[in-house]
Amino acid sequence: MSWWIAPLLLALLTGALCPVSGALLIVQGRVMQANLIAHAVLPGLALAVAFGLPPSVGGSLSGLLGALVAERLLVPGQNTTNHGAVMNTVLAGFMGLGVLLIPLLGIRVDLEATLFGDLLLVRSVDLLLAGGGLLLQGLFFTACYRPLVFLGVDPTGAAASGLPLRALKLALAGITAFVIVSSMAAVGVVLVIGLMCAPALFGLAGATSLRQAVLKASAAGMALGVGGFLLALLLNLPPGPLIGVLCVGLVMVRRG
Amino acid sequence: MPPAPPGLRVCGLDYHYDRQRVLHQVAFQLRPGSLTALVGPNGAGKSTLLHLLQGQLQPSAGAVELDGAPVRRCRRRIALMPQKGEIDWRFPITVAEFAGLGRLAASRAGCCDVDGALQRVGLEAMKSKRLDQLSGGQQQRALLARTLVQPADVLLLDEPCAAIDPPSRNLLLGLMRQLSDGGFTLLVSSHDWGPALNAYDRVLVLNQALRADGTPQQVRQALDDVTMGNHCCG
Repeated sequence: MSWWIAPLLLALLTGALCPVSGALLIVQGRVMQANLIAHAVLPGLALAVAFGLPPSVGGSLSGLLGALVAERLLVPGQNTTNHGAVMNTVLAGFMGLGVLLIPLLGIRVDLEATLFGDLLLVRSVDLLLAGGGLLLQGLFFTACYRPLVFLGVDPTGAAASGLPLRALKLALAGITAFVIVSSMAAVGVVLVIGLMCAPALFGLAGATSLRQAVLKASAAGMALGVGGFLLALLLNLPPGPLIGVLCVGLVMVRRG
Repeated sequence: MPPAPPGLRVCGLDYHYDRQRVLHQVAFQLRPGSLTALVGPNGAGKSTLLHLLQGQLQPSAGAVELDGAPVRRCRRRIALMPQKGEIDWRFPITVAEFAGLGRLAASRAGCCDVDGALQRVGLEAMKSKRLDQLSGGQQQRALLARTLVQPADVLLLDEPCAAIDPPSRNLLLGLMRQLSDGGFTLLVSSHDWGPALNAYDRVLVLNQALRADGTPQQVRQALDDVTMGNHCCG
């Protein structure tokens, strides 16, 4: 198999995967949670490496734990600025804990690759993870489509209707954590936010349904992933940061 | 024992939130097919009362019954149309899909036809449009259509006429009259203390407790002596 096929496949899979979560989080007003989860995967990742467990499992659990801790610390009724402050504090705390655990546990973690990804070092397990993430997310989106729409358009009405919203939000946070861990190899935990948000914003503009928005966002995400990868080859630069820069370009195009 | 009178009956309703009294000894009865306005100043407890009537909140004391049965046993028969501000109008959704969410709210059987509900509120031609392409009055009607999809016979409408122009308000009032003539029981919260109140059969004035209850003329007369009438004008 040619060396470029695996990175290209990962770029496509990650590009398709991230914007779906991004669109769901944007319409629920929970983008900050994605950023928190992305940074909160680090302690779990370090612990998993130290104890010989799959890093994806450790990272996902740790990201989910970060989201739950933040949710617990939020004061109901306070404004979104206060909520943002709490989330950012938890984000910094989990990130700091992850950085501290690496020397404390005496493990070797390539921090640069974790934060910014490296498509060119892709392994078959990364492809499996991204494929699994896409499948899991697709199943969740299909099975919970209408409750997700109801929750996004009218949170009060959705709560009044007796839908299991707590479970739905928890599942969304868990899947977001898994998506972030699955995309780590390609774009890293810092740049993944760009790939979640920029194509999602593009997809949401003018869409007449969440389904249509997600499909459009995924197509844009795949184009960004492949575009970043090809540019990286052409310019001899790292693909992850290039994808991040292209994301800003897409938001500028959308803004007109 | 004589059978319970039909309609929605509220007895001695109290509600406290954070040790603060929001409602005190509220009692009234709505007969089937009536159109009633619930007016009062901001913070009077109107929205809280509607949420209690729908069974979303539990009263601190008192009871709400529908045709003699506790409201928690027949929540599906009571639909609440939320305030416009609680909806994300920029969400990517068509009018038809939005109205169809009423099926999810009512859960399962007995729901009404989405097209029929949209036709009833005069939005069938707009059903493929995005919600944010509608005017304020049309958005309120889309919200009403979603409420009508639920298999309810009591409709609680929270400020449906807020922030819309007079023609849209009159259209909505006409729709509400049609619904009550068709057998629905409507309780409509409102800030409007003007001539629009004459469109209702009955007016309840709430400010923590029920301050007046009667026809629009009777209530205006009764409130002439009460300073609270000044607060309602805003």
